[in-house]
Amino acid sequence: MTATDDILLLNAYIDGELDPAHALEVERRLVNDPELAAERARIEALRRVMAERLPREEASPELRRRVAALVPPRPIAAGWRAGRSLRWSAQWGAMAASVAIGLIIGSVGTYVATGPPGPAPVAQLVVASHVRSLAATQPVDVASSDRHTVKPWFNGKLPQSPRVVDLAAQDFELVGGRIDVIGLVPAPTLVYRRRLHLISLTALPVAQAAAAPRRAIDGYNLVEWTDADHAYWAVSDLARPELEEFAAAFRAGEPEP
Amino acid sequence: MSREDKARFEQVVMPYLDDAYGLARWLTGNRADAEDVVQEACLRALRGMAGFAGTNARAWTLAVVRNAAHDWLRKNRPQAVIHVDDLEAIERLQSGAASDGTASADPTPEAALIARAEEARLEAAIAALPVVFRETLTLRDIQGLDYREIASITGVPIGTVMSRLARARGRLIASLGADK
Repeated sequence: MTATDDILLLNAYIDGELDPAHALEVERRLVNDPELAAERARIEALRRVMAERLPREEASPELRRRVAALVPPRPIAAGWRAGRSLRWSAQWGAMAASVAIGLIIGSVGTYVATGPPGPAPVAQLVVASHVRSLAATQPVDVASSDRHTVKPWFNGKLPQSPRVVDLAAQDFELVGGRIDVIGLVPAPTLVYRRRLHLISLTALPVAQAAAAPRRAIDGYNLVEWTDADHAYWAVSDLARPELEEFAAAFRAGEPEP
Repeated sequence: MSREDKARFEQVVMPYLDDAYGLARWLTGNRADAEDVVQEACLRALRGMAGFAGTNARAWTLAVVRNAAHDWLRKNRPQAVIHVDDLEAIERLQSGAASDGTASADPTPEAALIARAEEARLEAAIAALPVVFRETLTLRDIQGLDYREIASITGVPIGTVMSRLARARGRLIASLGADK
């Protein structure tokens, strides 16, 4: 065995890539060969220092947006061409309070979605707020995965701060919170994330609950439920079963102490 | 590209965007170029979604990024990739000489020096590695892939992965273990 092979095997041993027979052989060599043992110390020092000192590289929000723009939410891209924008344009002219949302959808082209005007159903307003948040620089006004940071942020801005549940264990990471205005009512909205999909969860006074909840609008799934005090609306491009899983987890979640 | 491709892209590529960026960052050496490489790689991944066999999404994604990065290097840093084969031949000669040279050296202060290397020095030492060594080291020690995955991503036999990794680490040890 050449010296070079020794070094290759030593590296593979440190990387846990050797079968037991070869690992045993390297371990025996390490006991009897101080030079090999010294090389092991150097390699392990190097591996440790790389693990400790090198920052974890993360794709910037800007890069995430650029990549996400390559794959717009599917139903939107399909739906807008069907003439819906014409109908909405007509309403647009007639209504005063409207929200315009520009979504630049990569190489496919630019689609302009005009948000629902005036006294539109809560479902549409909630989806519009979600879409608007995706187009904003940040989907939240308070960014934190700590519910003890997010909940107090609402204090003083709203009469009641919302229930915030830690769902990290269920793989729904808390991103933060913001205030959406639904109709004319400021409402606390929490933002959670699973993989790259954001979920907006808006809490409204029960009186505003929808009579006939809608399951999806423009490719965004909606799940709605009520408790004693609030109607909750969860909006996301997450698949429906996962969004329902989120809703169930939130309802079952321990409220903050 | 079909809707199914887009859906698969979201499941296969999007979860590994940080890894994709990390690899591109180490290969191109800077943030802006890395982002361009990742975007180009994502376009290629979308077009090539049908080619994903459904086994290892992370390795597949990194292979696409790696190839896009190499194309970028060939175009923008031709001197960095041209002589890979020559370089490995030279390396083989050098490594023989190097291991003779370090045989008598006292290892303890060297390991201690390495352990104290600051981030900037570490980055500079890695950046100075030839591309094929750098990518092997990045995939193994920064992104934690195993030899088999690295072999499939870089398109070389496992023996070559082992030798490149050992050479990359050897060079870093020599550069970080030497007193400044």
